[in-house]
Amino acid sequence: MDLKLQKLIRKEAEYKSTNLGLNLLISRLQRRYSINPSQAELDDCLQEIKAFIEKYASIMKNDIEAIKNL
Amino acid sequence: MFINLEQAKNLIREGRILHIAAEESLLNQLPKGKWIGGTTPYFITEQGGITSKDKLFVNEIASAVDFKTAVYDKSNIFDITKDAYSNGITFLVMPFASDVAVFYAKEAPNVDDLFMYPIVGWISGFDLSTDSSAKVYDGVTGISYGDKAVALHICLPDDKTASIGIVNIFSVNEDDAVIEFKEDALSVTKCLVNGKEVVFSDYISENKIDTQLPLVADYNSVLVNVSIKSVSKENKTVDFYAPVFSGKEYRFARSVNDYAASFTEQLQGFTDAKPIFSCNCVLNYLYGKLDGKATPPFAGPVTFGEIAYQLVNQTLVYAELIDK
Repeated sequence: MDLKLQKLIRKEAEYKSTNLGLNLLISRLQRRYSINPSQAELDDCLQEIKAFIEKYASIMKNDIEAIKNL
Repeated sequence: MFINLEQAKNLIREGRILHIAAEESLLNQLPKGKWIGGTTPYFITEQGGITSKDKLFVNEIASAVDFKTAVYDKSNIFDITKDAYSNGITFLVMPFASDVAVFYAKEAPNVDDLFMYPIVGWISGFDLSTDSSAKVYDGVTGISYGDKAVALHICLPDDKTASIGIVNIFSVNEDDAVIEFKEDALSVTKCLVNGKEVVFSDYISENKIDTQLPLVADYNSVLVNVSIKSVSKENKTVDFYAPVFSGKEYRFARSVNDYAASFTEQLQGFTDAKPIFSCNCVLNYLYGKLDGKATPPFAGPVTFGEIAYQLVNQTLVYAELIDK
């Protein structure tokens, strides 16, 4: 899952959710990483999106499965 | 619900947790209680859009298990995420053109934990035919503010979570010119159009662009509007109601001939929605002539900016509570 999320953050993969918060977050992290494309920034972005997904896991089962299959 | 003053007073006295939008003279008459509010005389009710100075639009947050209100200024507005309940929703109301609203608009998208806490709300306004000003109200203290934001933090039961959504009637033509900005700004002089630097106000006038149409950016498939507030040919500046951000690609929205019909079309997918709150933009109300026209299942105040985590423009914003 981490690798798939990293691909999303690096814009190497695309995933469009029906969840507004997730879409805005992905967009924000992509912009953040594009400004500072370092491993440390990628790690920070990864932690942020993982925390979001963990918090909302109960309503994001479809998103999680789809991201795993990216 | 769109109710009169006595009905609103009764709900407050019964201890209901409320979000209230109304004209200032009505809000000033409400007793202290578990509510926050903001000023607007414009509403889209279930019966249609209306300008009213004798009724209030009230949302009761019936499923709250706890609540608290908070008042923020520019120095501490992003404490909002620290103050929010872990499983909750926060209603945020900020006065139009206040420092805190401007600061929030520009900085919110850069706040690390913003999306961890559902924040929904609006920018309060005033009757555009008068010279009155926007206010917000903390009903717990009974104090109103023209320069601070108020928030109603709601704690939800463990089996519920909040979901925020937007309805945007605008779209873009991918073949249209790409507009980019070199910095995050609420006012610009220059921009890049298809990579070439131009004076934005000149570009708008030379291309006869309808400035009632917003700039639109794609946020991972979510189209987010930035509305144009004014264009100064004299100063060569273009001012916005929400910031433009560097690194984002914008295009002017396609024109919309019939706003009400566009909302009707967009809202076909929302027939099962059960919003606990929604608001729509005053620019949609005015430009789209939504007076007398409803946008079911959404009803609520007509606002001078909408908050769906971050500030958006010319957009319908709503919140729902869904089962986990």
